[in-house]
Amino acid sequence: MSDTAVVHQIHVPQPRQHAKPGGILRHTSIVTGVIAGLVASIVTYLIGSHFFVPWGTTNADSSQVGLNALICATFVAWTFGFMIGVGAFAGPIRWALGHDLTHADAEYMAGKDQGRWRYFKYTTDHKVVGTQYLVMALVLLGLGGLMAMLIRTELGITWMEVFDPNFYNSIIGTHGIVMIIALIIVVTGPFGNFILPIMIGARDMAFPRLNALSFWLLFAAVPPLVCNLLMGGMRDGWTVYQPLGTQAPVGMIGYQVTIITFAFSTGIASVNLITTSVTMRARGMTWNRVPVFVIGVIASSVMGLVWFPMFQYSQILALSDKVIGTSFYNPVEGGSVWLYENLFWLLGHPEVYVVIIPGTAALMELMVVFLRKPLFSYKVAMAGFAGVVGISSIVWVHHMYMTGWAPSAGYPFMLSTELISIPFGFLVLVMLGTIWRGKPWTRLPMMCVYAVIWDKVVGGITGVYLSDVPVDQYMHGSMFVVAHFHYMLMGAGLFAAIGATAYWFPKMTGRMLDERLGSIGFWVAFFGFQLTFGSMFVAGLQGMPRRVLQFDSAFNISNWLSTIGAFTIGIGMLVFLYAIITSWRGGKPAGSNPWGGKTLEWQTETPVPLENFPVLPIVTSDPYGYGVPDPYDTASAPIQDDKQPAGVR
Amino acid sequence: MSSTTQATGTTEPLYPTTGEPVSIPARRNRMGIWLCIVSDATGTLALLVAYSYLWSLNVNSAWAPPKNAWADPLLFWLVVLGSLIATLLVWWGVRAVPNHGTGRLAMAAGVAALVVLATLALQIVQLSTFPFGPSDGAYASATFWLCFAAVYHLAMLLFIVPAIVTRTRAGRITPDNYSQARLVAMFMTWATIAIFLGALFATTMTVSPNENSPSFGTFQE
Repeated sequence: MSDTAVVHQIHVPQPRQHAKPGGILRHTSIVTGVIAGLVASIVTYLIGSHFFVPWGTTNADSSQVGLNALICATFVAWTFGFMIGVGAFAGPIRWALGHDLTHADAEYMAGKDQGRWRYFKYTTDHKVVGTQYLVMALVLLGLGGLMAMLIRTELGITWMEVFDPNFYNSIIGTHGIVMIIALIIVVTGPFGNFILPIMIGARDMAFPRLNALSFWLLFAAVPPLVCNLLMGGMRDGWTVYQPLGTQAPVGMIGYQVTIITFAFSTGIASVNLITTSVTMRARGMTWNRVPVFVIGVIASSVMGLVWFPMFQYSQILALSDKVIGTSFYNPVEGGSVWLYENLFWLLGHPEVYVVIIPGTAALMELMVVFLRKPLFSYKVAMAGFAGVVGISSIVWVHHMYMTGWAPSAGYPFMLSTELISIPFGFLVLVMLGTIWRGKPWTRLPMMCVYAVIWDKVVGGITGVYLSDVPVDQYMHGSMFVVAHFHYMLMGAGLFAAIGATAYWFPKMTGRMLDERLGSIGFWVAFFGFQLTFGSMFVAGLQGMPRRVLQFDSAFNISNWLSTIGAFTIGIGMLVFLYAIITSWRGGKPAGSNPWGGKTLEWQTETPVPLENFPVLPIVTSDPYGYGVPDPYDTASAPIQDDKQPAGVR
Repeated sequence: MSSTTQATGTTEPLYPTTGEPVSIPARRNRMGIWLCIVSDATGTLALLVAYSYLWSLNVNSAWAPPKNAWADPLLFWLVVLGSLIATLLVWWGVRAVPNHGTGRLAMAAGVAALVVLATLALQIVQLSTFPFGPSDGAYASATFWLCFAAVYHLAMLLFIVPAIVTRTRAGRITPDNYSQARLVAMFMTWATIAIFLGALFATTMTVSPNENSPSFGTFQE
């Protein structure tokens, strides 16, 4: 120990400062990351293509093993090169060498006094990471939305083929996985990182460097996915059933590398969010005082932590089949396509709840503020979250009723799938119960609550139909299924994210969101959404299959309406995006607590200081005790009537 | 630091970056490692499910490797033994730290690092001398991947175990603050369990019990 530093008014012995605070991270950023990633991938490609790869070697599926290996190595080199260039390995190497961070190092890495450039560096401050996630989610949603427009253009122009069928199929698959990734991060990423630590009264996340690592891994994961469109595409939908995936062009490797990298990112983020929530709560924040959003994030993270590795390994083994010629999914060589489907759907279905639960919890969080009444049955909400987490792990086979795998397993899984509607129903009932007899302050976040309840009811009820084996035999692979999961993922997931954005925007940016523009964008998108997917239900009931670009003229009207609806959604989302950008740049300054919320994030100043609170708060009351006087709040609480117990009104 | 002791009311050393008593970040780190182990365990479970699923199905009678040339079980168990010895060594070193035995930890972790290196080399030798290639049927594919998983775990150990030596020698691990050494030992324990499970499956589940497997032919003219 060479010196001391004053940390929160305490003199703390410091390790020796080996260089300027931050060390090598002073010289790394997204620019060095991209350069290192490109150099690593180009060098790998050139060396591999000239010296190591046996061009023309084919495996049992007649795909080029050598070329596949080369492309895989190139993508992996990009990922490692980028992570080295951005500075991700500096921390572990310092740790291994015994060069621990000083307080000055930690402050530099948190982006202190670095202005806006800190958003482009390996910055550890949770608020920076949350903002990075928000921008990344918006970019991915824009990309996925653009592809949705292309899909609807093809399906809406019924008199001609707009795209090559292979390109169309690739757009379908890429749209699916881009949107899945975007929706997984869209609430947990921005608000789980920015808001959650403040909400529980912590100064940062439990593992700040892992926090930055999770974001930059996500960043590194995106280019290989986008590259697939330039390399033959992924023509098999986002599920990429086998052995189609093994037989696909090399673009498929981009998808697989992306999923594997994204799973690491999600796992790291989950570890961080759970640990932060469990171990860093403020004094007095007992489990029955934890804000419901925190519980929702924990529930989502638990599902992601436990089940994402299954998804990851489904792709690792698929990549292995493609690159080194193993035979996990090739029946001729002793593999089984059902193995893939089981591993895939073991996450594939919980992932729906990974998307929906944090959004639902965010809406519960904000609705009590706009209704000025306590959450209706906090305990039932907790039971709902716990039930969804538990049952979500035993429902995956309902995606496989029609695959021929274990037909007798269909009925138990039909029962478990229908059972999950009970805890999920708890969550909807808690929302309805909270609204009941309330006097809502109808602002944009509250409008999102109404929208999501409607979408959840429609998506939930159609989901119950689809969980029935006999109904699924008719509906499987139809547009009805597409409409159902869009109601759940987009209707309940994306609109909840809009509500959360509108609610926490003032805290994150220090400015109020333009309510008028934002509401116009939201309602236009909501109307377009109903038109798009309502019409799709009709097309599905009429028998239109999904993932086709040519269809009978009987489905024309439904498809025209869906296309009009889709472009309406696009217009609405652009208006909402415009509202975000203009408000962020020059909106009305927000106070520290514009909504009058009681949770801790509203009790600190805006913009939030580097370490969130000058002194760590102590929690003395329920976060949802609206209308209940706080006995410790002597400044504002009315004088207690001696005959009336404290806390009752 | 007397000022430190007075300010926090504790005799524990303080964590340099946050000023908390070291037991608080230690608690966070412990939980983080447990969660990482849970996640890693699910991944290991995926591999074991893949192995046992293909073993039980014997699709197209293509589970067995060509000429029934199964892998030599001895090497699997030698890898397990190497991992186990390294883990026990680190635990032995960790137990001495509260009694000011940091020298023993440094020595034990140093020897453990060499054992891990030798075990990793042995694992790579095993991979390169299998009597089959990764594309020679389902058993070969699944066995290769169980060994790749062992390589992954041993490579992780090869990074963290020498780091414990360096950190102990640099005075970062002390009798007051040795939680990181315990966490490394915890992770080593899990890694050994994962390698053991892989070896158990690969050596005991060889011949498939399914003799009436579905036939898909060869797709060759």
